[in-house]
Amino acid sequence: MDERTVEVLAKRAGLEKALAQFPDDVTAAANSAEKVSDRVRQSGSTPPPSLEPWPPMVVVRT
Amino acid sequence: MSELHWMTAGAAAAAIAKRELSPVELVRALLNRIARFDPRFNAFIRVEADAALQEARAAEAEAAEGRLRGPLHGVPVGIKDIIDVAGLPTTCHSKVLEDAPPASADAECVARLRAAGAIVLGKLSTHEFAIGGPSLDLPWPPARNPFNRDHHPGGSSSGSGVGLAAGFFPIALGTDTGGSVRNPASACAIVGLKPTYGLVSRRGVFPLAFTLDHVGPMTRTVADNALMLGVLAGRDPIDPGSVAAPRSGDYMKALEQGLRGLRIGFVRHFHETDMPADPEVAAGLEKVARTLASEGAEVVDVKLPPLEDFAAVNRVILQSEAWSIHAEWLQERPGDYGRLARRRLMSGAFIGAGDYVLASRRRSQMIADVEAALRKVDVLLCASAMDPPCRIEDPAAVERTYMRQARTPFNVTGHPALAMATGLSRDGLPLAVQFVGRYFDEATVLRAARAWERAAGTDGLHPPL
Repeated sequence: MDERTVEVLAKRAGLEKALAQFPDDVTAAANSAEKVSDRVRQSGSTPPPSLEPWPPMVVVRT
Repeated sequence: MSELHWMTAGAAAAAIAKRELSPVELVRALLNRIARFDPRFNAFIRVEADAALQEARAAEAEAAEGRLRGPLHGVPVGIKDIIDVAGLPTTCHSKVLEDAPPASADAECVARLRAAGAIVLGKLSTHEFAIGGPSLDLPWPPARNPFNRDHHPGGSSSGSGVGLAAGFFPIALGTDTGGSVRNPASACAIVGLKPTYGLVSRRGVFPLAFTLDHVGPMTRTVADNALMLGVLAGRDPIDPGSVAAPRSGDYMKALEQGLRGLRIGFVRHFHETDMPADPEVAAGLEKVARTLASEGAEVVDVKLPPLEDFAAVNRVILQSEAWSIHAEWLQERPGDYGRLARRRLMSGAFIGAGDYVLASRRRSQMIADVEAALRKVDVLLCASAMDPPCRIEDPAAVERTYMRQARTPFNVTGHPALAMATGLSRDGLPLAVQFVGRYFDEATVLRAARAWERAAGTDGLHPPL
Protein backbone atom coordinates (compact mmCIF):
# COMPACT_ATOMS: atom_id res chain seq x y z
CA MET A 1 0.00 0.00 0.00
CA ASP A 2 1.50 3.36 -0.94
CA GLU A 3 2.36 5.95 1.67
CA ARG A 4 -0.40 8.40 0.69
CA THR A 5 -3.11 5.72 0.84
CA VAL A 6 -1.89 4.56 4.24
CA GLU A 7 -2.02 8.13 5.51
CA VAL A 8 -5.54 8.78 4.19
CA LEU A 9 -6.92 5.51 5.56
CA ALA A 10 -5.17 5.94 8.92
CA LYS A 11 -6.59 9.44 9.34
CA ARG A 12 -10.04 8.24 8.37
CA ALA A 13 -9.72 5.59 11.09
CA GLY A 14 -8.77 8.23 13.66
CA LEU A 15 -5.14 7.10 13.92
CA GLU A 16 -3.53 10.57 13.65
CA LYS A 17 -1.63 10.10 16.92
CA ALA A 18 -0.33 6.69 15.92
CA LEU A 19 0.64 8.08 12.53
CA ALA A 20 2.67 10.83 14.20
CA GLN A 21 4.26 8.70 16.90
CA PHE A 22 4.59 5.25 15.28
CA PRO A 23 4.50 5.69 11.48
CA ASP A 24 6.34 2.39 10.88
CA ASP A 25 3.75 0.49 12.92
CA VAL A 26 0.88 2.09 11.00
CA THR A 27 2.50 1.17 7.70
CA ALA A 28 3.16 -2.40 8.87
CA ALA A 29 -0.46 -2.75 10.04
CA ALA A 30 -1.79 -1.46 6.71
CA ASN A 31 0.43 -3.79 4.69
CA SER A 32 -0.53 -6.77 6.84
CA ALA A 33 -4.23 -5.99 6.36
CA GLU A 34 -3.78 -5.66 2.61
CA LYS A 35 -1.93 -8.99 2.41
CA VAL A 36 -4.54 -11.04 4.29
CA SER A 37 -7.47 -9.31 2.54
CA ASP A 38 -5.93 -10.06 -0.85
CA ARG A 39 -5.46 -13.69 0.13
CA VAL A 40 -9.11 -14.01 1.15
CA ARG A 41 -10.26 -12.42 -2.13
CA GLN A 42 -8.03 -14.64 -4.24
CA SER A 43 -8.59 -17.96 -2.45
CA GLY A 44 -11.19 -20.35 -3.77
CA SER A 45 -13.93 -19.64 -6.26
CA THR A 46 -16.48 -16.84 -6.05
CA PRO A 47 -19.02 -17.90 -3.44
CA PRO A 48 -22.58 -18.37 -4.66
CA PRO A 49 -24.84 -15.42 -3.75
CA SER A 50 -26.81 -17.60 -1.36
CA LEU A 51 -23.76 -18.45 0.79
CA GLU A 52 -24.33 -16.58 4.04
CA PRO A 53 -21.62 -15.57 6.54
CA TRP A 54 -20.91 -17.49 9.68
CA PRO A 55 -22.15 -17.07 12.39
CA PRO A 56 -25.72 -17.34 11.11
CA MET A 57 -28.47 -15.02 12.26
CA VAL A 58 -30.16 -16.41 15.37
CA VAL A 59 -33.29 -14.94 16.89
CA VAL A 60 -33.33 -15.12 20.67
CA ARG A 61 -35.92 -13.95 23.17
CA THR A 62 -34.32 -11.61 25.72
CA MET B 1 4.12 -37.29 50.03
CA SER B 2 6.93 -36.44 47.56
CA GLU B 3 6.86 -34.26 44.45
CA LEU B 4 3.52 -32.63 45.12
CA HIS B 5 4.28 -30.26 42.24
CA TRP B 6 3.93 -33.03 39.66
CA MET B 7 0.74 -34.44 41.16
CA THR B 8 -2.23 -34.48 38.78
CA ALA B 9 -5.45 -32.71 39.65
CA GLY B 10 -7.29 -36.03 39.70
CA ALA B 11 -4.79 -37.61 42.08
CA ALA B 12 -4.72 -34.53 44.32
CA ALA B 13 -8.53 -34.35 44.53
CA ALA B 14 -8.72 -38.07 45.32
CA ALA B 15 -6.07 -37.79 48.04
CA ILE B 16 -7.78 -34.74 49.56
CA ALA B 17 -11.14 -36.50 49.54
CA LYS B 18 -9.59 -39.46 51.40
CA ARG B 19 -7.84 -37.02 53.76
CA GLU B 20 -4.45 -38.38 52.72
CA LEU B 21 -3.42 -34.92 51.52
CA SER B 22 -4.07 -31.52 53.03
CA PRO B 23 -5.00 -28.76 50.57
CA VAL B 24 -2.93 -26.43 52.78
CA GLU B 25 0.13 -28.66 52.38
CA LEU B 26 -0.41 -28.76 48.62
CA VAL B 27 -0.88 -25.00 48.24
CA ARG B 28 2.16 -24.30 50.45
CA ALA B 29 4.34 -26.66 48.40
CA LEU B 30 3.29 -24.96 45.16
CA LEU B 31 3.74 -21.45 46.58
CA ASN B 32 7.26 -22.41 47.68
CA ARG B 33 8.03 -23.72 44.21
CA ILE B 34 6.63 -20.57 42.60
CA ALA B 35 8.75 -18.38 44.92
CA ARG B 36 11.84 -20.41 44.07
CA PHE B 37 11.50 -20.74 40.31
CA ASP B 38 9.06 -18.17 38.91
CA PRO B 39 11.55 -15.28 38.98
CA ARG B 40 13.27 -17.19 36.14
CA PHE B 41 10.12 -17.98 34.16
CA ASN B 42 7.59 -15.16 34.82
CA ALA B 43 4.48 -17.32 34.67
CA PHE B 44 2.67 -15.09 37.17
CA ILE B 45 1.58 -11.47 37.00
CA ARG B 46 0.35 -11.75 40.58
CA VAL B 47 0.38 -14.56 43.13
CA GLU B 48 -2.50 -14.53 45.61
CA ALA B 49 -0.71 -16.46 48.36
CA ASP B 50 -2.76 -15.33 51.37
CA ALA B 51 -6.12 -15.79 49.65
CA ALA B 52 -5.08 -19.21 48.32
CA LEU B 53 -3.97 -20.38 51.76
CA GLN B 54 -7.21 -19.11 53.29
CA GLU B 55 -9.22 -21.03 50.68
CA ALA B 56 -7.05 -24.10 51.28
CA ARG B 57 -7.77 -23.99 55.01
CA ALA B 58 -11.50 -23.75 54.26
CA ALA B 59 -11.22 -26.68 51.83
CA GLU B 60 -9.38 -28.71 54.46
CA ALA B 61 -12.06 -28.03 57.05
CA GLU B 62 -14.80 -28.99 54.59
CA ALA B 63 -13.01 -32.20 53.65
CA ALA B 64 -12.65 -33.06 57.33
CA GLU B 65 -16.43 -32.81 57.63
CA GLY B 66 -16.91 -34.93 54.52
CA ARG B 67 -18.23 -31.96 52.54
CA LEU B 68 -16.59 -31.89 49.12
CA ARG B 69 -17.61 -29.09 46.79
CA GLY B 70 -16.89 -31.06 43.63
CA PRO B 71 -14.31 -32.99 41.61
CA LEU B 72 -11.61 -30.32 42.06
CA HIS B 73 -11.96 -29.89 45.82
CA GLY B 74 -8.71 -28.32 47.07
CA VAL B 75 -6.99 -28.33 43.65
CA PRO B 76 -4.98 -25.16 42.82
CA VAL B 77 -5.54 -23.45 39.48
CA GLY B 78 -3.85 -20.62 37.58
CA ILE B 79 -5.91 -18.07 35.64
CA LYS B 80 -4.78 -16.25 32.48
CA ASP B 81 -4.95 -12.54 33.14
CA ILE B 82 -7.57 -11.73 30.54
CA ILE B 83 -10.10 -13.66 32.64
CA ASP B 84 -11.91 -11.95 35.51
CA VAL B 85 -11.33 -13.08 39.08
CA ALA B 86 -13.51 -11.22 41.58
CA GLY B 87 -11.54 -8.67 43.59
CA LEU B 88 -8.50 -8.67 41.27
CA PRO B 89 -7.75 -6.39 38.31
CA THR B 90 -7.74 -7.94 34.85
CA THR B 91 -4.68 -6.32 33.27
CA CYS B 92 -4.47 -8.25 29.99
CA HIS B 93 -0.68 -7.86 30.55
CA SER B 94 -0.99 -4.31 29.21
CA LYS B 95 -0.13 -0.82 30.33
CA VAL B 96 -3.57 0.14 28.98
CA LEU B 97 -5.20 -1.74 31.88
CA GLU B 98 -2.33 -1.61 34.39
CA ASP B 99 -4.52 0.37 36.80
CA ALA B 100 -7.78 -1.43 36.05
CA PRO B 101 -10.22 -1.61 38.97
CA PRO B 102 -10.80 -5.02 40.57
CA ALA B 103 -13.27 -7.24 38.72
CA SER B 104 -16.67 -7.22 40.40
CA ALA B 105 -17.34 -10.90 39.74
CA ASP B 106 -15.65 -14.09 38.66
CA ALA B 107 -15.82 -15.01 34.99
CA GLU B 108 -18.26 -17.88 34.49
CA CYS B 109 -15.39 -20.33 33.87
CA VAL B 110 -13.71 -19.27 37.13
CA ALA B 111 -17.00 -19.50 39.01
CA ARG B 112 -17.47 -23.05 37.73
CA LEU B 113 -13.97 -24.04 38.84
CA ARG B 114 -14.53 -22.55 42.28
CA ALA B 115 -17.91 -24.29 42.58
CA ALA B 116 -16.07 -27.56 41.86
CA GLY B 117 -13.66 -26.78 44.70
CA ALA B 118 -10.66 -25.29 42.87
CA ILE B 119 -8.40 -22.74 44.59
CA VAL B 120 -7.17 -19.73 42.57
CA LEU B 121 -3.40 -19.29 42.99
CA GLY B 122 -3.11 -16.09 40.97
CA LYS B 123 -3.21 -14.36 37.60
CA LEU B 124 -0.93 -15.49 34.78
CA SER B 125 1.13 -13.84 32.08
CA THR B 126 -0.30 -13.57 28.60
CA HIS B 127 0.64 -11.91 25.37
CA GLU B 128 -0.75 -8.37 25.56
CA PHE B 129 -4.53 -8.56 25.05
CA ALA B 130 -3.93 -12.18 23.94
CA ILE B 131 -2.34 -10.98 20.69
CA GLY B 132 0.88 -8.99 21.12
CA GLY B 133 3.79 -11.00 22.29
CA PRO B 134 6.20 -12.10 23.52
CA SER B 135 7.12 -8.49 24.26
CA LEU B 136 9.81 -6.85 26.36
CA ASP B 137 8.11 -3.42 26.26
CA LEU B 138 5.24 -4.19 28.66
CA PRO B 139 4.77 -3.56 32.42
CA TRP B 140 5.50 -7.24 33.17
CA PRO B 141 8.19 -9.43 31.57
CA PRO B 142 7.19 -12.18 29.13
CA ALA B 143 6.90 -15.75 30.38
CA ARG B 144 9.81 -17.99 29.42
CA ASN B 145 9.94 -21.64 28.42
CA PRO B 146 10.84 -23.96 31.35
CA PHE B 147 12.55 -26.38 28.93
CA ASN B 148 14.96 -23.58 28.03
CA ARG B 149 14.33 -20.07 29.29
CA ASP B 150 15.96 -18.55 26.22
CA HIS B 151 13.08 -19.93 24.16
CA HIS B 152 9.50 -18.87 23.48
CA PRO B 153 6.90 -20.70 25.62
CA GLY B 154 4.16 -20.09 23.05
CA GLY B 155 1.20 -17.86 23.60
CA SER B 156 -0.93 -16.13 24.15
CA SER B 157 -1.74 -18.27 27.22
CA SER B 158 1.98 -18.26 27.97
CA GLY B 159 1.86 -18.14 31.78
CA SER B 160 -0.61 -21.06 31.81
CA GLY B 161 1.70 -23.27 29.73
CA VAL B 162 4.82 -22.23 31.61
CA GLY B 163 3.29 -22.70 35.06
CA LEU B 164 2.01 -26.17 34.20
CA ALA B 165 5.34 -27.28 32.74
CA ALA B 166 7.23 -25.84 35.71
CA GLY B 167 5.02 -27.59 38.27
CA PHE B 168 3.42 -24.42 39.68
CA PHE B 169 -0.17 -25.77 39.44
CA PRO B 170 -1.83 -28.87 37.94
CA ILE B 171 -4.54 -27.07 35.94
CA ALA B 172 -4.93 -23.66 34.31
CA LEU B 173 -7.32 -21.65 32.20
CA GLY B 174 -6.32 -20.38 28.78
CA THR B 175 -8.07 -18.73 25.87
CA ASP B 176 -7.74 -19.48 22.17
CA THR B 177 -8.63 -17.16 19.25
CA GLY B 178 -5.95 -18.18 16.76
CA GLY B 179 -4.37 -21.06 18.69
CA SER B 180 -3.51 -19.51 22.06
CA VAL B 181 -4.29 -22.55 24.23
CA ARG B 182 -2.65 -24.99 21.82
CA ASN B 183 0.47 -22.91 21.11
CA PRO B 184 1.80 -22.97 24.70
CA ALA B 185 0.64 -26.57 25.01
CA SER B 186 2.84 -27.37 22.01
CA ALA B 187 5.83 -25.34 23.22
CA CYS B 188 5.71 -26.52 26.84
CA ALA B 189 4.79 -30.22 26.42
CA ILE B 190 1.47 -29.97 28.23
CA VAL B 191 -2.12 -30.70 27.11
CA GLY B 192 -4.27 -27.84 25.80
CA LEU B 193 -7.82 -28.20 24.49
CA LYS B 194 -9.80 -25.65 22.54
CA PRO B 195 -13.34 -26.97 22.97
CA THR B 196 -16.14 -26.63 20.44
CA TYR B 197 -17.17 -22.99 20.00
CA GLY B 198 -19.90 -22.28 22.55
CA LEU B 199 -19.23 -25.25 24.85
CA VAL B 200 -17.44 -23.16 27.52
CA SER B 201 -18.74 -19.73 28.49
CA ARG B 202 -16.67 -16.64 27.59
CA ARG B 203 -18.54 -14.38 30.01
CA GLY B 204 -16.06 -12.36 32.06
CA VAL B 205 -13.20 -12.90 29.60
CA PHE B 206 -11.74 -9.83 27.88
CA PRO B 207 -12.62 -10.40 24.21
CA LEU B 208 -10.13 -10.52 21.37
CA ALA B 209 -12.49 -11.54 18.53
CA PHE B 210 -16.06 -12.43 19.40
CA THR B 211 -16.66 -15.16 16.84
CA LEU B 212 -13.26 -16.83 17.28
CA ASP B 213 -12.72 -16.68 21.06
CA HIS B 214 -12.73 -19.89 23.08
CA VAL B 215 -11.88 -20.68 26.73
CA GLY B 216 -10.07 -23.97 27.23
CA PRO B 217 -8.61 -26.27 29.87
CA MET B 218 -4.82 -26.58 30.10
CA THR B 219 -3.31 -29.45 32.08
CA ARG B 220 -0.32 -31.79 32.25
CA THR B 221 -2.31 -34.93 31.46
CA VAL B 222 -5.18 -35.88 29.19
CA ALA B 223 -7.21 -37.24 32.11
CA ASP B 224 -6.93 -33.92 33.95
CA ASN B 225 -8.03 -32.15 30.79
CA ALA B 226 -11.14 -34.34 30.61
CA LEU B 227 -11.81 -33.76 34.31
CA MET B 228 -11.48 -29.99 33.94
CA LEU B 229 -13.62 -29.86 30.79
CA GLY B 230 -16.39 -31.67 32.63
CA VAL B 231 -16.43 -28.81 35.13
CA LEU B 232 -16.22 -26.02 32.55
CA ALA B 233 -18.67 -27.23 29.89
CA GLY B 234 -22.26 -26.09 29.98
CA ARG B 235 -24.75 -23.55 28.73
CA ASP B 236 -24.49 -19.98 29.96
CA PRO B 237 -27.61 -18.01 28.98
CA ILE B 238 -25.74 -14.70 29.39
CA ASP B 239 -22.99 -15.58 26.86
CA PRO B 240 -24.57 -15.06 23.42
CA GLY B 241 -22.23 -17.66 21.88
CA SER B 242 -23.00 -20.34 24.45
CA VAL B 243 -24.96 -23.40 23.41
CA ALA B 244 -26.58 -26.33 25.15
CA ALA B 245 -24.16 -29.06 24.13
CA PRO B 246 -25.79 -32.27 22.97
CA ARG B 247 -23.13 -34.58 24.41
CA SER B 248 -21.41 -32.68 27.23
CA GLY B 249 -20.92 -34.39 30.54
CA ASP B 250 -18.48 -37.00 31.72
CA TYR B 251 -15.45 -36.76 29.44
CA MET B 252 -13.54 -39.35 31.50
CA LYS B 253 -15.69 -42.30 30.46
CA ALA B 254 -14.20 -43.02 27.04
CA LEU B 255 -10.60 -42.18 27.89
CA GLU B 256 -9.30 -45.70 28.28
CA GLN B 257 -11.38 -47.30 25.52
CA GLY B 258 -8.41 -47.56 23.14
CA LEU B 259 -8.53 -46.98 19.41
CA ARG B 260 -9.99 -50.11 17.91
CA GLY B 261 -12.66 -49.14 15.40
CA LEU B 262 -11.59 -45.48 15.27
CA ARG B 263 -10.88 -43.87 11.88
CA ILE B 264 -8.24 -41.15 11.99
CA GLY B 265 -7.70 -38.72 9.11
CA PHE B 266 -4.09 -37.52 8.77
CA VAL B 267 -3.95 -34.00 7.26
CA ARG B 268 -0.44 -34.42 5.88
CA HIS B 269 -0.54 -31.55 3.38
CA PHE B 270 -0.63 -28.98 6.21
CA HIS B 271 2.96 -29.77 7.20
CA GLU B 272 4.28 -31.40 4.02
CA THR B 273 3.36 -28.87 1.33
CA ASP B 274 1.29 -25.96 2.73
CA MET B 275 3.91 -24.96 5.33
CA PRO B 276 6.78 -27.47 5.23
CA ALA B 277 7.61 -28.36 8.80
CA ASP B 278 10.92 -28.79 10.58
CA PRO B 279 12.07 -32.41 9.97
CA GLU B 280 11.85 -33.31 13.66
CA VAL B 281 8.26 -32.01 13.83
CA ALA B 282 7.35 -34.05 10.72
CA ALA B 283 9.03 -37.17 12.10
CA GLY B 284 7.09 -36.80 15.34
CA LEU B 285 3.79 -36.64 13.46
CA GLU B 286 4.63 -39.75 11.44
CA LYS B 287 5.48 -41.54 14.67
CA VAL B 288 2.09 -40.62 16.15
CA ALA B 289 0.29 -41.90 13.04
CA ARG B 290 2.23 -45.21 13.08
CA THR B 291 1.67 -45.66 16.82
CA LEU B 292 -2.06 -45.00 16.65
CA ALA B 293 -2.35 -47.45 13.75
CA SER B 294 -0.50 -50.07 15.78
CA GLU B 295 -2.94 -49.39 18.64
CA GLY B 296 -5.85 -50.38 16.39
CA ALA B 297 -6.93 -47.19 14.61
CA GLU B 298 -7.36 -46.99 10.85
CA VAL B 299 -5.27 -44.02 9.66
CA VAL B 300 -6.11 -42.52 6.26
CA ASP B 301 -4.99 -39.35 4.48
CA VAL B 302 -7.45 -36.46 4.43
CA LYS B 303 -7.39 -33.23 2.41
CA LEU B 304 -8.67 -29.88 3.65
CA PRO B 305 -8.38 -26.37 2.14
CA PRO B 306 -4.84 -24.91 2.11
CA LEU B 307 -3.55 -23.75 5.47
CA GLU B 308 -2.82 -20.25 4.16
CA ASP B 309 -6.50 -19.82 3.22
CA PHE B 310 -7.60 -20.70 6.75
CA ALA B 311 -4.97 -18.37 8.18
CA ALA B 312 -6.06 -15.43 6.01
CA VAL B 313 -9.73 -15.89 6.93
CA ASN B 314 -8.76 -16.09 10.61
CA ARG B 315 -6.66 -12.90 10.42
CA VAL B 316 -9.26 -10.83 8.55
CA ILE B 317 -12.01 -11.78 11.00
CA LEU B 318 -9.79 -11.52 14.08
CA GLN B 319 -8.30 -8.16 13.19
CA SER B 320 -11.67 -6.67 12.18
CA GLU B 321 -13.40 -7.74 15.39
CA ALA B 322 -10.41 -6.79 17.57
CA TRP B 323 -10.26 -3.32 15.97
CA SER B 324 -13.88 -2.71 16.97
CA ILE B 325 -12.85 -3.37 20.59
CA HIS B 326 -9.56 -1.44 20.64
CA ALA B 327 -10.19 1.43 18.21
CA GLU B 328 -10.75 4.14 20.81
CA TRP B 329 -7.67 3.22 22.88
CA LEU B 330 -5.50 2.94 19.77
CA GLN B 331 -6.72 6.35 18.62
CA GLU B 332 -6.17 8.07 21.98
CA ARG B 333 -3.20 6.28 23.58
CA PRO B 334 -1.31 4.20 21.01
CA GLY B 335 1.89 4.52 23.07
CA ASP B 336 0.35 2.50 25.91
CA TYR B 337 0.40 -0.63 23.74
CA GLY B 338 3.51 -2.70 23.14
CA ARG B 339 4.77 -2.62 19.58
CA LEU B 340 3.55 -6.09 18.58
CA ALA B 341 0.00 -5.59 19.89
CA ARG B 342 -0.18 -2.09 18.40
CA ARG B 343 0.78 -3.37 14.93
CA ARG B 344 -1.49 -6.39 15.01
CA LEU B 345 -4.51 -4.56 16.44
CA MET B 346 -4.24 -1.54 14.13
CA SER B 347 -4.45 -3.83 11.09
CA GLY B 348 -8.19 -4.01 11.60
CA ALA B 349 -8.45 -0.30 10.75
CA PHE B 350 -7.38 -1.12 7.19
CA ILE B 351 -9.75 -4.01 6.49
CA GLY B 352 -12.90 -3.12 4.61
CA ALA B 353 -16.40 -4.28 5.54
CA GLY B 354 -16.62 -6.19 2.27
CA ASP B 355 -13.49 -8.18 3.09
CA TYR B 356 -14.77 -9.00 6.57
CA VAL B 357 -18.06 -10.31 5.17
CA LEU B 358 -16.27 -12.20 2.40
CA ALA B 359 -14.00 -13.85 5.01
CA SER B 360 -17.10 -14.79 7.03
CA ARG B 361 -18.67 -16.35 3.93
CA ARG B 362 -15.46 -18.24 3.12
CA ARG B 363 -15.63 -19.41 6.71
CA SER B 364 -18.98 -21.08 5.95
CA GLN B 365 -17.32 -22.93 3.07
CA MET B 366 -14.45 -24.02 5.29
CA ILE B 367 -16.84 -25.31 7.93
CA ALA B 368 -18.54 -27.39 5.23
CA ASP B 369 -15.16 -28.74 4.06
CA VAL B 370 -14.06 -29.82 7.56
CA GLU B 371 -17.51 -31.26 8.29
CA ALA B 372 -17.29 -33.31 5.09
CA ALA B 373 -13.92 -34.71 6.18
CA LEU B 374 -15.27 -35.54 9.63
CA ARG B 375 -18.14 -37.51 8.12
CA LYS B 376 -15.52 -39.94 6.76
CA VAL B 377 -13.29 -40.13 9.84
CA ASP B 378 -13.79 -39.78 13.60
CA VAL B 379 -10.75 -37.65 14.38
CA LEU B 380 -8.25 -35.56 12.43
CA LEU B 381 -4.52 -35.74 13.16
CA CYS B 382 -2.32 -32.84 12.04
CA ALA B 383 0.53 -30.56 12.98
CA SER B 384 0.19 -27.87 15.62
CA ALA B 385 3.44 -25.85 15.37
CA MET B 386 5.66 -26.29 12.31
CA ASP B 387 8.81 -25.50 14.28
CA PRO B 388 10.25 -26.15 17.72
CA PRO B 389 9.95 -23.10 20.04
CA CYS B 390 12.18 -20.29 18.72
CA ARG B 391 14.47 -18.04 20.73
CA ILE B 392 12.37 -15.51 22.63
CA GLU B 393 14.68 -12.54 22.11
CA ASP B 394 14.96 -13.04 18.35
CA PRO B 395 12.17 -10.84 16.92
CA ALA B 396 12.74 -12.13 13.38
CA ALA B 397 12.33 -15.74 14.51
CA VAL B 398 9.27 -14.86 16.59
CA GLU B 399 7.71 -13.15 13.56
CA ARG B 400 8.69 -15.99 11.19
CA THR B 401 7.22 -18.75 13.35
CA TYR B 402 4.12 -16.76 14.42
CA MET B 403 2.07 -17.85 11.42
CA ARG B 404 3.75 -21.23 10.84
CA GLN B 405 1.11 -23.28 12.58
CA ALA B 406 -2.03 -25.33 11.89
CA ARG B 407 -4.22 -24.16 14.75
CA THR B 408 -6.19 -21.31 13.15
CA PRO B 409 -8.32 -23.62 10.94
CA PHE B 410 -10.22 -24.81 13.98
CA ASN B 411 -10.85 -21.35 15.37
CA VAL B 412 -12.34 -20.56 11.98
CA THR B 413 -14.54 -23.67 12.00
CA GLY B 414 -15.12 -24.00 15.76
CA HIS B 415 -14.26 -27.72 15.92
CA PRO B 416 -12.67 -29.05 19.13
CA ALA B 417 -8.87 -29.31 18.86
CA LEU B 418 -6.26 -30.53 21.31
CA ALA B 419 -2.48 -30.05 21.21
CA MET B 420 0.04 -32.13 23.10
CA ALA B 421 3.64 -33.30 22.88
CA THR B 422 5.06 -35.84 20.47
CA GLY B 423 8.38 -35.71 22.32
CA LEU B 424 11.45 -33.52 22.57
CA SER B 425 13.80 -32.32 19.83
CA ARG B 426 17.52 -33.12 19.85
CA ASP B 427 17.92 -29.76 21.61
CA GLY B 428 15.47 -30.77 24.34
CA LEU B 429 12.59 -28.59 23.13
CA PRO B 430 8.97 -29.80 22.91
CA LEU B 431 7.46 -30.94 19.61
CA ALA B 432 3.70 -31.30 19.16
CA VAL B 433 0.70 -32.90 17.49
CA GLN B 434 -2.93 -31.83 17.20
CA PHE B 435 -6.12 -33.91 17.35
CA VAL B 436 -9.40 -32.47 16.01
CA GLY B 437 -12.91 -33.84 16.41
CA ARG B 438 -16.52 -33.39 15.44
CA TYR B 439 -18.57 -30.66 17.09
CA PHE B 440 -19.17 -31.48 20.77
CA ASP B 441 -17.31 -34.77 20.45
CA GLU B 442 -14.46 -33.77 22.76
CA ALA B 443 -14.72 -37.25 24.28
CA THR B 444 -13.32 -38.87 21.13
CA VAL B 445 -10.57 -36.25 20.80
CA LEU B 446 -9.54 -36.95 24.39
CA ARG B 447 -9.73 -40.70 23.78
CA ALA B 448 -7.29 -40.48 20.85
CA ALA B 449 -5.02 -38.14 22.82
CA ARG B 450 -5.00 -40.49 25.79
CA ALA B 451 -4.06 -43.43 23.56
CA TRP B 452 -1.02 -41.50 22.31
CA GLU B 453 -0.12 -40.31 25.82
CA ARG B 454 -0.29 -43.87 27.15
CA ALA B 455 1.78 -45.28 24.30
CA ALA B 456 4.44 -42.54 24.32
CA GLY B 457 4.53 -41.56 27.98
CA THR B 458 4.27 -37.86 27.15
CA ASP B 459 2.83 -37.11 30.59
CA GLY B 460 6.30 -37.80 31.99
CA LEU B 461 7.99 -35.01 30.00
CA HIS B 462 9.12 -32.50 32.61
CA PRO B 463 11.74 -29.78 32.16
CA PRO B 464 14.97 -29.99 34.15
CA LEU B 465 14.60 -26.85 36.29
